[in-house]
Amino acid sequence: MTGAAEPVYFVLLFPSVSHVMKAEKILLKEEIPIKIIPVPKTISSDCGVCIRFEEKLVKKIKSILENHFETMEFRKL
Amino acid sequence: MKCEIDARGLACPQPVVLTKNKMKECNHIEITVDNETALENIKRLAGSSGWSYEDTVSGSNYIITLKGDNTKTTDAPAEFMTSCSGEGTVISFSSDKMGKGDDELGSILMKAFVHTITTLDSLPSAIVFYNSGVMLAADGSGVADDLNVLNKKGVQLLICGTCVNYFKIGDKIKTGTISNMFDILNTLSKATRIINP
Repeated sequence: MTGAAEPVYFVLLFPSVSHVMKAEKILLKEEIPIKIIPVPKTISSDCGVCIRFEEKLVKKIKSILENHFETMEFRKL
Repeated sequence: MKCEIDARGLACPQPVVLTKNKMKECNHIEITVDNETALENIKRLAGSSGWSYEDTVSGSNYIITLKGDNTKTTDAPAEFMTSCSGEGTVISFSSDKMGKGDDELGSILMKAFVHTITTLDSLPSAIVFYNSGVMLAADGSGVADDLNVLNKKGVQLLICGTCVNYFKIGDKIKTGTISNMFDILNTLSKATRIINP
């Protein structure tokens, strides 16, 4: 163990799974390290998926995606 | 009527079978068992039959008190299954997509599914991968890191070698064990439960 602190994660929420699929494609093309995870139960009990990434990527992801989507919601985990 | 069962020393699934039989005659049952598997099985039986239960620890034994309506209890509902220690739950990935229908959707669902395994209270004992399921274990699949976490927690990952060769992804498999039909079938046949997403 290195003793390094656990990274702080953010999730990006979209209105539908189709938006998540589109965003995943764009971000992977840009080689941004992201993960698809179920929407945490603390955020919503819906059966949804969202995109998870480290805090340091928030700005970058925002700038890549802002022209593609009208509705995006960033939440700290 | 109150009944008592001493199920100490009995092998699974005896304690749960005895309990099930008594639930037809008694509305208050006190069962003594000496292992956690029996305790959990009886609690699940009670829960799925609509009975209330309380358990206490007494030395190395557990005492479970069940209360319910024996006039309504016929047989345990179909969804109740006894799990004896066995080999536990095995997840079988026969594809890198979850379900049939839309492949892109199936791919997203699968990523969420695999990540969710890492958050389970009770982890599967093994995960087997075959056909395009082996793609999940390859670097860059989006879930190889989750599988590695599971592997480090003691979940056995058996990856079909024939399939890995067929897809030419041998150099990308960095977690789990490249396995064969014998071990995969053996693991599946000993499983208490198989989950096939």
